[in-house]
Amino acid sequence: MKVFGVVLCASTLAASAMASDHGPVFGYATPVNSQGEVSCDAGIFGRGGTLGTQVSTGTGCGYGVTPHITVTAFLPVSFGSGALPESHVMPGGEWTAGASWRFLHSVTSVGKRIESTASLGVVVPGPQADSGILAGQHRAAGVAGTLASGYASRSQYLWFGGGYTRFAEAARDRRPDTVSWSAVYGYRPPKLRRGYDQWDYRGFAELTGEHTGGVRSHGAIVPDSSTTSVWLGPSVLAIFKNIAIEGGAQAPLYRDASEAVYGHEKVRFALNFSYLRFSGHNSSH
Amino acid sequence: MKRLLAVAVFALFGVVAQAQYAQVNLTVFGMDCAPCAHAIHVSMKGIQGVNTVDVDLNTGLVTIKLTPDNKASMRQFNEAVEKNGFTHKDAEIIVRGKLTGTAAAPVLEVTGTTDRFALVPATAGLDIASLLGKTVTVAGVLPQAAKGKVADTLKVKSITEAR
Repeated sequence: MKVFGVVLCASTLAASAMASDHGPVFGYATPVNSQGEVSCDAGIFGRGGTLGTQVSTGTGCGYGVTPHITVTAFLPVSFGSGALPESHVMPGGEWTAGASWRFLHSVTSVGKRIESTASLGVVVPGPQADSGILAGQHRAAGVAGTLASGYASRSQYLWFGGGYTRFAEAARDRRPDTVSWSAVYGYRPPKLRRGYDQWDYRGFAELTGEHTGGVRSHGAIVPDSSTTSVWLGPSVLAIFKNIAIEGGAQAPLYRDASEAVYGHEKVRFALNFSYLRFSGHNSSH
Repeated sequence: MKRLLAVAVFALFGVVAQAQYAQVNLTVFGMDCAPCAHAIHVSMKGIQGVNTVDVDLNTGLVTIKLTPDNKASMRQFNEAVEKNGFTHKDAEIIVRGKLTGTAAAPVLEVTGTTDRFALVPATAGLDIASLLGKTVTVAGVLPQAAKGKVADTLKVKSITEAR
């Protein structure tokens, strides 16, 4: 019954925040699906450091239940054996499902809007074994919540967001809590403010940060397992009607992590492809 | 010249199109990117009787042209905007219907739909009363209405007897 409850929650609640299609590729953003819209994302997300690399590829889908509520699910597969800190800005091997609610939506004029979106979801360990400090750990599901606010217009975008992930304990092991935050600025040059039947490009500067708590193993916190890092990098989003391609890379601005445990993480990159299927169904006559 | 052009346009609509709503120009707030416009395009095209849809992201203007004898209602156009998370503002429409009511309070009953609008002249000198009981083609502005609602007053810019 408990398992059924978790599965039900996973399928009706939702994960957030992994930005895609309309927004940045690393940071948190506010867009949600329109009512009846189905969005599908497929991407490659990579992290590289002195103790190896980790690449995740996955498919995510979202469905707009109302104009302001979207349910999502993301099922990644991870490769590599890098000893890297826990991250929820970058997808790992965890399956996530949840719901996003755009609770503030203020349209101020043509092309402009201010909005805030909250997300809540469940995070379930995927079938792949963990690597690095988490290798051999007993794993349990967790919950993830995010909040993002921002401004969108034809010329500029600005989003701020934060998230928190907490895992349950399994056999006295527990993955670290993660606090993450992001700030994203986007710009579309005047020459690219064109009709919707042409490619729509915009560039982002994405600042992300994460603090992970200590890893609990056999009931004790593993020494030097807590980390803090801040990352900065560009990304570019190209959209044609209902197809979006986005790519970006980040380098560390600040890093407080044990090199003996995690090595020196040097780069993060992401490449995402999105397909959006809008609903032409209209309810009334 | 402008007036001549307007008369020519209405004469053309009178002859060629027997549409109820012939054209709806809807200003939409909040669209910033191509998928926003595409979503509006798909939603509008999903309304039976819509012929062409053009979306201008820089002005927010959605221009909908309809086929003759359509039964589309104004509520459907508004819903197509709302379900995509945007807001509709004033709409300029060209519509055909029967003029009922009284000389003091004329009402347009849009042919083939349940839409009814109280007519208010937008400019002085419009002779609405003489067309009572006739089928007319009206060009006018529907003011912004609350979400889920349709304005009940149409500000008439021009009105002619439909052929």
